[in-house]
Amino acid sequence: MTAVSAPIPGIPLLELRGISKQFPGVKALDDVSFAVHPGEVHMLLGENGAGKSSLMKVLCGAYRADAGEFFHRGEKVAITSPADARKLGIAVIFQEFSLVPYLDIAQNIFLGREFRGRIPGSVDRRRMHVEARRILDLIGLELPTQTPLHTLGVAQQQMVEIAKALSQNARILVMDEPTAALSDRETERLFAMIRQLQAEGVAIIYISHRMAEVFALGDRITVLRDGRKVGSLLPREATPDELVRMMVGRSVDMSYAREFRSEFGDTVLEVKGLHSDNGISDIDLTVRAGEIVGLSGLVGAGRSEVARAIFGADAVTAGEVRVYGKLHRGGPDQAVAAGIGLIPENRKSEGLALIRSVADNLNIAALRRRFSSRVFGPRRARAIARALVDKLRIATPTTLRPVQVLSGGNQQKVVIGKWLEAESRLFIFDEPTRGIDVGAKAEIFALIDALVRDGAAVLLISSELSEIVNVCDRAYVMCQGRITGHLARHEISEEGILKLAMHHE
Amino acid sequence: MSSQIAVGNRLVVAPWRAVLARTPGVAWILGLLLLVFAATSRDFLSAGNLLNVGQQSVILLMLALPMTLIIMTEGLDISMGAVLTLAGVMLAWVMVRYGSLPLALAASLATGLAFGIVNGSLVALLKMPSFVVTLGTMGAAQGLALIVTDGQSIVGVGATVESFYSGRLAGVPLPLLLGAGSYLTCHLLLYHTRFGNYVFALGGNPEALKLAGVRADLYLIGVYALGGLMAGLAALLLTARMSSGHPTAAIGMEFDAIAAVAVGGTSFERGKGWLFGTLLGVIAVGVLRNGLNLLSVPSSAQVACIGILVILALFIDGWKERR
Repeated sequence: MTAVSAPIPGIPLLELRGISKQFPGVKALDDVSFAVHPGEVHMLLGENGAGKSSLMKVLCGAYRADAGEFFHRGEKVAITSPADARKLGIAVIFQEFSLVPYLDIAQNIFLGREFRGRIPGSVDRRRMHVEARRILDLIGLELPTQTPLHTLGVAQQQMVEIAKALSQNARILVMDEPTAALSDRETERLFAMIRQLQAEGVAIIYISHRMAEVFALGDRITVLRDGRKVGSLLPREATPDELVRMMVGRSVDMSYAREFRSEFGDTVLEVKGLHSDNGISDIDLTVRAGEIVGLSGLVGAGRSEVARAIFGADAVTAGEVRVYGKLHRGGPDQAVAAGIGLIPENRKSEGLALIRSVADNLNIAALRRRFSSRVFGPRRARAIARALVDKLRIATPTTLRPVQVLSGGNQQKVVIGKWLEAESRLFIFDEPTRGIDVGAKAEIFALIDALVRDGAAVLLISSELSEIVNVCDRAYVMCQGRITGHLARHEISEEGILKLAMHHE
Repeated sequence: MSSQIAVGNRLVVAPWRAVLARTPGVAWILGLLLLVFAATSRDFLSAGNLLNVGQQSVILLMLALPMTLIIMTEGLDISMGAVLTLAGVMLAWVMVRYGSLPLALAASLATGLAFGIVNGSLVALLKMPSFVVTLGTMGAAQGLALIVTDGQSIVGVGATVESFYSGRLAGVPLPLLLGAGSYLTCHLLLYHTRFGNYVFALGGNPEALKLAGVRADLYLIGVYALGGLMAGLAALLLTARMSSGHPTAAIGMEFDAIAAVAVGGTSFERGKGWLFGTLLGVIAVGVLRNGLNLLSVPSSAQVACIGILVILALFIDGWKERR
């Protein structure tokens, strides 16, 4: 992989040199250097977890870099707090909105920078509304500035967020997937605004997953991968395929290779035309016994929402879910009774009762089955737990240990064990290896493999493309709440998935 | 963008609908209470009694106003009744000993402020749950009040103090003026100052406030400090009303205050708060207490009725939202 670099003449408005940021267990940013010039739109590309968000948080002063230097117009500066960033004219449009629901639009735009009234501590509301109106007109948002924020839709909130950044007279504007929630018309308007800002000499750092945007707006493209900069290039030198290759390009980790079979059992899960309140639509998928089916896509594509809808944790508005051919509807209790086990993304908050013991956690989904007399027997529960601890090789001295002291990998095994005990036949894994070290990852996948060899069906959601590629018998790819592709075993590749996930033709 | 215009239109063309959509829970209940008591008690609607309700509700209002702000930040201050009691006892003690009203008032305000700052600091700086913090300071304030008074009432506060409850200015009872002043102050504070904006943000999105470069923790301390200060001020009325400092005078009043805030439509989530609703909530609680007194309902049963009132108000609000 060559890092093509085309220098732009002149002193950059902002330059980062050798920025590193370490979190426990992860190197979020590793020696990243990066520069933006006045009037330049600099696209930032990368897979999930490539370090884009971390870089953005370093830029706005929310994170403090462990190493590296910042230069503003060639002069060395420090960015250690949001106030520092603001002084340099850096404004960030966050994806998770930094808005307050029960303040109005004007108050939100000027939060922390209120115009002062004559009386100390008071706010000059009239001036705030006049200024807010001016900015809203600029971006074409026709709402009254007195509108409380909680009455706005997501797209409108995004526009307010943009207005907030603009109101800071930012010289450097950082945008994190600003079009994710916008309609085509609003996107066009945003692009026109970006071009106008560009003409005024504002530098824009634009994070995007959409290829079309990258080529429509970008003056320069920088690709990150695993916290490192892979390269910077000009749009005319780049092709979508090449960018995808740069984003992926990881050495394949074969530590969890498995034997693939070609014969599968009956259809265990059949989903048809599923819609839910959480923005997923037209979901069709099947999982057969003995099969691991991947569900891939970028963060926010709606994968977890599909899992929650199947499990009955979110309300289904249309479509049907069949388990072993039987129509399944109702909440999680019905799902468990139908033999579905969900290993959720947020293990600690949704999968486990952290301060309870290993034994309690392992028994929790099978209480009705195991204790049909409705009297809980702690000794029996411990015996059941001990058998599972041995079977899954959960590293814990006793079954009475609270799960919170176990390592991530062992915690995950407890969640899996819980569903084994409930006699689940369909396992939905949502990011099963998140926060788990490499050795334990292989063990988790060995477990998943053992499940399907035993005739269970597995739906595997993962942001790690290599996991989908190495483990799955088939894979679906999602983008913006819809399934955009269905890949057979021999068709699954990281490039193929990423193309479908970014939905570029 | 039809919804956008619809929202805009509704706000511009038909503001009464927006008002109606917000008022109900508490307004319905207040109307219902007035009807019931007007029908069942002959004395209820007399001018003297209504004035009495207003006068008695002022102390509750002075607690419920800052309680609204505290609840908006997703916190709770259950020490308010005990702090009010202690401040009242301090006021009486200084008054009897030194005979100086400014000194006595200063002691009362300082007591309230000190407890408020301690509550706020523990919540904001040490990130302790407000319920636990104020449970602790509630015990401390209650204990101190018993120690200072030795369990007895402190009598002989003098006519100057008493006049704050019974006196009139330009024909209006002083407590009502104090209540109106408190309400106005809190209204200006919440809706016209930076502090007020940040109260909404502390409950709605504290992260956004920090990213805006605001010292969010200091403002959170300020919210609790305001609560203490208002309790200290309310102590003047309490002592004036009882003509003495009594070590259990306002124990449990935080219950009425929280109830009034909840009835008024302030939510424990996302910084949703409404000060006028709290005013109506206070009046509703005051009317209920007064009406039940007129019907000779024992005070233990009154507490149960207030509980039902809270649930009913939340039920109406929830029902309207779901519809």
